[in-house]
Amino acid sequence: MFNFAFDNLNSFFYMDGHGIYVWSVFFIVIISTSLMFIFYKNELRKIRKKIIDE
Amino acid sequence: MYPYILYFSVLFYAFALVWGLGFAPADYVQGNSFRIIYLHVPASFLSQSLYIVMAIAAGIFLIWKVKLAAYMIKSIAPVGALVTFIALISGSIWGIPTWGTWWQWDARITSTLILFIMYLGLISLHSSFTNFEKADKFISVLVLIGFVNIPIIKKSVDWWSTLHQPASITLTNKPSIDPTMLYPLIFSMIGFSGIIVSLIILSSKVHIFKRESHKSWVKRNV
Repeated sequence: MFNFAFDNLNSFFYMDGHGIYVWSVFFIVIISTSLMFIFYKNELRKIRKKIIDE
Repeated sequence: MYPYILYFSVLFYAFALVWGLGFAPADYVQGNSFRIIYLHVPASFLSQSLYIVMAIAAGIFLIWKVKLAAYMIKSIAPVGALVTFIALISGSIWGIPTWGTWWQWDARITSTLILFIMYLGLISLHSSFTNFEKADKFISVLVLIGFVNIPIIKKSVDWWSTLHQPASITLTNKPSIDPTMLYPLIFSMIGFSGIIVSLIILSSKVHIFKRESHKSWVKRNV
């Protein structure tokens, strides 16, 4: 079950030509989720500052 | 508490992705493009699950007037839009090597697009109200009306002839997917769900602090 499915790292990233699809989805998931975290972290910091200033 | 859920879930999800993307065997028909399953399925699962949670919260708000339920709807909607966006984009990209097209107006894809539009509609409608109490009521009713789309999404692959394959995992039948591919999928679903739950906790904090900023307990907590 835990045998690496590829011969080397190059073929892992290339994935027989499917790497472009798999890795683009991977980065979309990571970037979009991270951006939402950053957005809410900033919002929380702003609202906290506003409440403290009041 | 949410940072601990987040850190644990990120580690769990990273482990599941390394397992699925690097160690699961390639699919007999789809080859390595099938590995998108570890990113697409958790998002699709959550896009529908979050709407169900919103519908339950809407019911609780309309029946018992629990304010927290209304805040939940407002907090979940943007996160629901994000996961539905991920589900649509990942599905479209997966469609290119598998179906030879990135988009098809078939039942599953179209009903998921409607779900995405519903999330966006709920976010923009709530923001357009100046009276928050009226907005909460109106949005709750809309969430309940929109709930009709969830069984349509779920059953679309059975009711209509679509490009999208039927569900590989169901509650009643044995999974039609090999365990070497199934286990990392289950792990990725748990890990991504944990990340999304911590994101919802964070967005709930923002919305509760915004709405209750004049209350003394909020000032004490800040």
